Amino acid sequence: MAEREITLMKGNEAIAHAAIRCGCDGYFGYPITPQSEVLETLAEQKPWETTGMVVLQAESETSSINMVYGGAATGKKVMTSSSSPGISLMQEGISYLAGAELPCLVVNVSRGGPGLGTIQPSQADYFQSCKGGGHGDYRLIVLAPSSVQEMADFVYLAFELAFKYRNPAMILTDGVIGQMMEKVELPPFKARRTEKEIIEQCPWAANGRPAGRKPNIITSLELDPAVMEEINIRLQKKYAQIQENEVRVEEFMLEDAEYAIVAFGSAARIAKKAIEMAREEGIKVGLLRPITLWPFPIKEVEALSKKVKGILSLEINAGQMVEDIRLAVNGRIPVSHYGRLGGIIPAPDEAVVELKKLIK
Amino acid sequence: MDIKEIMQPENLVYKKPELLNDTAMHYCPGCSHGVVHKLISEVIAEMGMENKTVGVSPVGCAVFAYKYIDIDWEEAAHGRAPALASAVKRLWPDRLVFTYQGDGDLACIGTAETIHALNRGENITIVFVNNAIYGMTGGQMAPTTLMGMKTATCPYGRDAKLHGYPLKVADIAASLEGTCYVTRQSVHTVGAINKAKRALRKAFEYSMQGKGSSLVEMVSTCNSGWKLSPEKANKWMEENMFPFYNLGDIKDTGANNQ
Repeated sequence: MAEREITLMKGNEAIAHAAIRCGCDGYFGYPITPQSEVLETLAEQKPWETTGMVVLQAESETSSINMVYGGAATGKKVMTSSSSPGISLMQEGISYLAGAELPCLVVNVSRGGPGLGTIQPSQADYFQSCKGGGHGDYRLIVLAPSSVQEMADFVYLAFELAFKYRNPAMILTDGVIGQMMEKVELPPFKARRTEKEIIEQCPWAANGRPAGRKPNIITSLELDPAVMEEINIRLQKKYAQIQENEVRVEEFMLEDAEYAIVAFGSAARIAKKAIEMAREEGIKVGLLRPITLWPFPIKEVEALSKKVKGILSLEINAGQMVEDIRLAVNGRIPVSHYGRLGGIIPAPDEAVVELKKLIK
Repeated sequence: MDIKEIMQPENLVYKKPELLNDTAMHYCPGCSHGVVHKLISEVIAEMGMENKTVGVSPVGCAVFAYKYIDIDWEEAAHGRAPALASAVKRLWPDRLVFTYQGDGDLACIGTAETIHALNRGENITIVFVNNAIYGMTGGQMAPTTLMGMKTATCPYGRDAKLHGYPLKVADIAASLEGTCYVTRQSVHTVGAINKAKRALRKAFEYSMQGKGSSLVEMVSTCNSGWKLSPEKANKWMEENMFPFYNLGDIKDTGANNQ
């Protein structure tokens, strides 16, 4: 076997291969376009015969996310994937996972909505992913890959962060990255943890009470409001810690930039091309790409607003992340938004036109 | 002989199972849940599975089941317990995994999860407490509410034109390829309690032997919801529930399914 395994594959396939390689214990999912290749690839790879990973096609997304809850509560590394309408169905379970502080990975290969919408790509699930979606005061750790390589890498990163903070993590991507074929170097193989290791590393998990230990009870229920408030305050402290420590961004051509595009995921790829085109016309523009959508790079955007004269938020939606950008900019400089809707992808030259409007 | 002389270890003929802790139960006097909890505690201990059991509690009156039985528990969202249990058992095949659910949780909002877990033949046991009413929320109509029965949301009695018909979940479960054992029991007499315990033991044994899914329905009373004294509730159950929800094994293929 070659030392470096470089292959050509779809983003969805990269998610599946990375799951097997990162020591994932269980995947529970339901078919939906444009993410079905995740479950298909896992079924074809038969990891239950190699790593021992469980793969199960559930009866619904509701069931998938509750299987994830069941598995995560035992300390196992478990995940699901779906696309926008399916992720909507999962919101109840996601809220419970956050409330019970369970680590897991949810992948959203999003598509255009609202409703049944379209199967074409969209970034219109930013609000749902970053602002709640389910009920209650909770946060997900949300990672936005912009290449097939990052689809694979972020499976590892998402699980690492999920277990570090005992919090559900989400990969928010879209049909562009999910369906696109690209070169990827699969990350190194990590063995699944043994049951002994899981019991040692997750002393909170409910997987059978050994003699002498008190029962572990995984629940998000507390009827005493004073205690429930304490639980909420503890959760908020955890979220503040994540906001402080886990922000990740990519900067592109920002050194001499007078204007900036802020864009994530597939829109960031379009932004890079638009920046090249704009620079050919003498416009000094760069890109700030939030990799973590939550925690949002508040400080980074704030610093950027003290450096450039205007920001264009390029999104494949009607203007969602732009609200967070405006909060961070706090009126210091003009912030505009450009996006296409319903499954249409903005072209780089459209972004250049919008950039010029901002400069005027 | 005074009471202190009588209460000596050598005179002990019956005691609370060790897995059942001293937390005061929130159940109403006369409710069937307490007895079912006791039976589960006894069977787990008799099988020597105290350290290898994961229970999944529902949303409903038994939401706090985890407070009373000293095993590891997961508290599920309303109706989702069989999905949780499916994952736990697949990820930890040597654990005893069971769900504990009421009629609203299992037969209404969780119908899909219940039928599909049973139909996949998950090696789990579903303990189904059917008292034909939503107890925790104050006595509303359940999927298992009998025809003509009055509840807070069918105050003039269940009417097929308005509310449809009561659901016989155990009969549906028995028709599924994935189930090995489906039975209907009750805990209103000593004899019934003993039978129910044997049924639970069989279901748990089958789960550990990998024979498929088991459903143990406990036809139960809800004297608060039914607005009857415990004694009258038992009588009402015998006269009205049992003719519709017939007691006994509906399916048992565990013995010849190796």
